[in-house]
Amino acid sequence: MPYPTEPLEILGAWVGALLTIFIYSYILWRENYAFRWAEHTYIASSFAVAVVQAIRIIRNNVVAPLMGGDMRYIMPIILGLMLYTLPFRRFRWISRYVVSFLVGIGFGVSVRGALSADITRQILSSVTAPLGGTPMDWFNFIYVSLGFVFIVSYFTFTKEHTGWYYVPTKIGRYLLMLGLGVYFGNTVQFRMAMLSGRVQYLLQVFKIIPWP
Amino acid sequence: MGEAERSIWIKLAEIDRRIIYWSLFLLLIIPFVRPLMLPVSISETTLALYNFIEKLGPDDIVVIGIQSGVSAWPECLPGLVAATRHLVSRNVKIIIWGFYTDVDMTMNAIKARVPQLKWPDEEVGPGDYKYGEDWVYIGLIPAGGETVVAALADDLHAAIKADFFGTPITQIPLLQKVKGAKDIALVITSDTGDYGWYYVRQWNARYGTPIAEIGIAMIYSEFVPYYKAGQVIGMLKGVRGGAEYERLLGYAGEGTQRMDALNVSHLLTIFFIIIGNIGYFATRKYRRY
Repeated sequence: MPYPTEPLEILGAWVGALLTIFIYSYILWRENYAFRWAEHTYIASSFAVAVVQAIRIIRNNVVAPLMGGDMRYIMPIILGLMLYTLPFRRFRWISRYVVSFLVGIGFGVSVRGALSADITRQILSSVTAPLGGTPMDWFNFIYVSLGFVFIVSYFTFTKEHTGWYYVPTKIGRYLLMLGLGVYFGNTVQFRMAMLSGRVQYLLQVFKIIPWP
Repeated sequence: MGEAERSIWIKLAEIDRRIIYWSLFLLLIIPFVRPLMLPVSISETTLALYNFIEKLGPDDIVVIGIQSGVSAWPECLPGLVAATRHLVSRNVKIIIWGFYTDVDMTMNAIKARVPQLKWPDEEVGPGDYKYGEDWVYIGLIPAGGETVVAALADDLHAAIKADFFGTPITQIPLLQKVKGAKDIALVITSDTGDYGWYYVRQWNARYGTPIAEIGIAMIYSEFVPYYKAGQVIGMLKGVRGGAEYERLLGYAGEGTQRMDALNVSHLLTIFFIIIGNIGYFATRKYRRY
């Protein structure tokens, strides 16, 4: 894509670059007014986008069907308005009906799929031998199966981790640390990717490298 | 250990964070200005997604669920763009929606990089995707989390009334072919949070719809068990996954450009971890904490 030519687009690119510098001034220097201003601007603009989106959604999904004669959509409007009684102590009880409704629906829906997806199939996958698989598949199978047993043993709190029970719980602890290390490594990769993205953006705005 | 030598070790263990950040910031510039072209190997999970899409055709409909915000563009956008390009090259029909309020910006970013996707008011040429027939953008699907994802799987027409432009979905030819999860050949979900699991639970577990994950690197390791269990058919690991996919498609996009910077940043991180640890162990006996 060519570098923006429209004045508004150029302005947008430069505002983005300046805000990026303001935000990074916190870690590259210290907390300062520019950082705070950028931080508040970020929150305000996010809120503004959310409000605009909410209005559009209500217009498309509620007002339009209502105008078309589908009166069922009065119910979600009433339920939604009931939630706004939450800040008022005297009328707060009204919002609790909606909250209980939302929690009940959410829990019921998630449990419906979770039993199969998160429990049954995960256990089956962990204990099913990779017949005809490569040596690496077998290594992974043994590692996952034994690791599963060792880590569960570490979280057994009804028996003290001493005697014959010391070794499996200790191995379980190290395997947990290994897993958390991988997770942390991925977190670092994510943060570095974010930073590299911002550096790339700055270089693009300053025309040091081509616009994407 | 002498006082001067001890002082050096303490300094190493307590390097000012600003020195680290400035080194990182400046070092990251180099690979963008002078690309190092470090090799990128193809992961099994990336290849799996590529091979799956290779088998899709013009009769198949794919959902792209954008559950990553603008802040995750450096990680997720290269993969999203590469996967969309691949779908377009296979003439696969596409439905795009998202659950984050800034999804429109991500949609615009994808569209700018995949120019074949045309809005309703744009002229359609050969090879382009006509809006409403070849692809549809639903826009933001408001709050509701897993409940909404489940509702979309059960009955799309009950859950959504209009597309991004306010056109009733009953008037959109592509959406007339879709009733729910059973009519979808693949869901590509781009996540920074929990939505990937919602699709696995509500679309794959209940309807058997294949799921692919294009998420931030942190999510990757959490999804590996689901990939191994066959619940997820392929995954792209952040920007690295995007770079791998670009390589499979034969072009060097933003993912490829960013991989050099990522490698350099990792090397610097490892360097500072080693320095910090040397300093820590060398001065441990002088510390009370």
